[in-house]
Amino acid sequence: MTDPVLVARQLGRSLPGEPPVTLVTEVELAIEPGKFTAIVGPSGCGKSSLLYLLGLIDRPTTGQLLLDGRDVTPLSGDERARIRLERFGFVFQFHFLLPEFNALENVMLPIRRLGRLSLEQAEARARDLLGQMGLADKVLKSPDKLSGGERQRVAIARALANDPVLVLGDEPTGNLDSVNSARVVELFRQLAHEQGRAVVCVTHDLAIADLADIRVSMLDGRVSEVRQQANS
Amino acid sequence: MTGAAISRSLGRIGLLVHIAAKHLLMRRRQTLVAVSGVAVGVGFFLAVSALMVGSQADFVKTLIDTAPHIIISDERRSPPPQPGVAAYGSGAVELHGYKVRSEVRGIKDWQAILREVNDISGAIGSPSLSGAVTLRVGGREEGLAVVGIDPSIESKVSTISDKLRVGRLVDLERVQGGVIIGEDQAQRLALGMGDIVAATSARGGTRNLKIVGLFKRGQMQLGAGTGYMLLREAQSLLGRPFIINRIGVKLTDPYAAQDVAAQLERRHAYKAESWQERSADFLGLLLTRNVIMYTVVSAILLVASFGIYTAVSNSVANKRRDIAILRSIGFSQGDLQLVFVLEGMVLAVIGVVLGWGLGYVLMEILGGLEFPISGDVQRIPLDRSSRQYLIAAGASLAAGIVAAWLPARKTAMVDPVDILRGAV
Repeated sequence: MTDPVLVARQLGRSLPGEPPVTLVTEVELAIEPGKFTAIVGPSGCGKSSLLYLLGLIDRPTTGQLLLDGRDVTPLSGDERARIRLERFGFVFQFHFLLPEFNALENVMLPIRRLGRLSLEQAEARARDLLGQMGLADKVLKSPDKLSGGERQRVAIARALANDPVLVLGDEPTGNLDSVNSARVVELFRQLAHEQGRAVVCVTHDLAIADLADIRVSMLDGRVSEVRQQANS
Repeated sequence: MTGAAISRSLGRIGLLVHIAAKHLLMRRRQTLVAVSGVAVGVGFFLAVSALMVGSQADFVKTLIDTAPHIIISDERRSPPPQPGVAAYGSGAVELHGYKVRSEVRGIKDWQAILREVNDISGAIGSPSLSGAVTLRVGGREEGLAVVGIDPSIESKVSTISDKLRVGRLVDLERVQGGVIIGEDQAQRLALGMGDIVAATSARGGTRNLKIVGLFKRGQMQLGAGTGYMLLREAQSLLGRPFIINRIGVKLTDPYAAQDVAAQLERRHAYKAESWQERSADFLGLLLTRNVIMYTVVSAILLVASFGIYTAVSNSVANKRRDIAILRSIGFSQGDLQLVFVLEGMVLAVIGVVLGWGLGYVLMEILGGLEFPISGDVQRIPLDRSSRQYLIAAGASLAAGIVAAWLPARKTAMVDPVDILRGAV
């Protein structure tokens, strides 16, 4: 078994108040590279909250989060932003593309922000990624000229822009029809199995959860079950 | 920083400017309003300050040029110390009410002072003698303040030769008993060029003077009853041979006048008055005027920056979702604040450039206006120096950055989790 990318130890998040509202509590979890992990559970169980904690968008109130064995909980906002930029990629239920930018420019955003490639190299990489998503002929289209499935694939290309070790999806198929949904799930499986990335997806769709390598069930803010599934 | 680091941070700024520009292009009307606000502010700042600074410079130039930069006269600011005080110090007793021997007025040892003045690089000293005479024509009498000068030197020190309506200053040397008086006075006494007039001084001498030139009307410094003669002839008319009571000094740098005057006065005890001292009241007025002007034009620029504040503030409010998305991608809070500050800067820069154009056009219009004043066509004096353009640009940019930075701070209050989950 390979070393996990991300390890949660007694991870918890509550909202201040009287009494405090607990979103996530006492989560013990290891996210492994090359595996497609699905987080499932009834709505309000804290699965999305957990995903934002794992993705370093939100901060835990208790516990630790280890990235490659290093505790990243005490890092500053800028350092966490840097980790998201370099190593993580997000896909949301809504495509969340910037409306002023065309598909190519949207995918180039993280590459240009990282600044390791020249503008020409960045564009070549973005075109390549969009090509892999089957969108080679749509690169200059603005998001509102694309179908829902196409937008979500542009969003996936953007998530992969800086070659992340961890891809996080928050109901990435929630707004798609079954054909597009299946296509996205297949893509996520490829990202894990063929490209060796760690893929974590929150979903309420049990059919998707069945296709995952690891199925994490949540209830009332706690991880109730972690099950290995034979899908590789 | 290494080359790679520099190009990376340039790339970052380029990307953030790109995002800012996209935001502005999406909201064209608001962009237009903000930009035109700055442009109008800058344009009118330029026009108003060109007028104010230009007229002030013109006025100060008049103050400086009409009379010598420094006038050394035969007066003292305080009575000279008595020889007794010098010899016995506190042992001397001060007496009041005693009669003094009438002193011969005039600057003693003036040749030495003149030599010293001329030794200052670029400085020229012009000795003169002034006194009062009475002009008599037919039955009429009128006083004349006569100034005896050396025309070739005086014309280098003051601008009186520009103020002649007819005649030339050098004519004083050519004509025996030549005098130049004001147009007004000549008219009152029914005198014209070449006419003869009798002049009597207090010491009894009477001579016939011949009009060889006339000064234009309305010259504040010359006064209505001032006449210029050759120094030699004035000395003889006033019965004070070899005496002068005034040295006019012109310097290459008029603003050094105060220091040079103080130095001369310290050494020779004669009152040496700089143009600044003579015009202290005017200079005080100019200061007040400048305070008023800069208050008004700063207010113009400040109001112009409100447009930027509104535009950026709305942009932040409307782009909360984009802010959250960019944060999730890995843009830092600083990046996003900078995006919105850059929006303000882009608005300010475009506004400044358009405002420069507007200001230039306004100045062309103002500069083209002609006013007939006492027979001459006059134009409004304008200061068109690049300094005004730079001040306008600097002030607008600073105001724009502050106006953008205030709302840009609000990006920090956007919680990406709320927005990404809620999908607002």
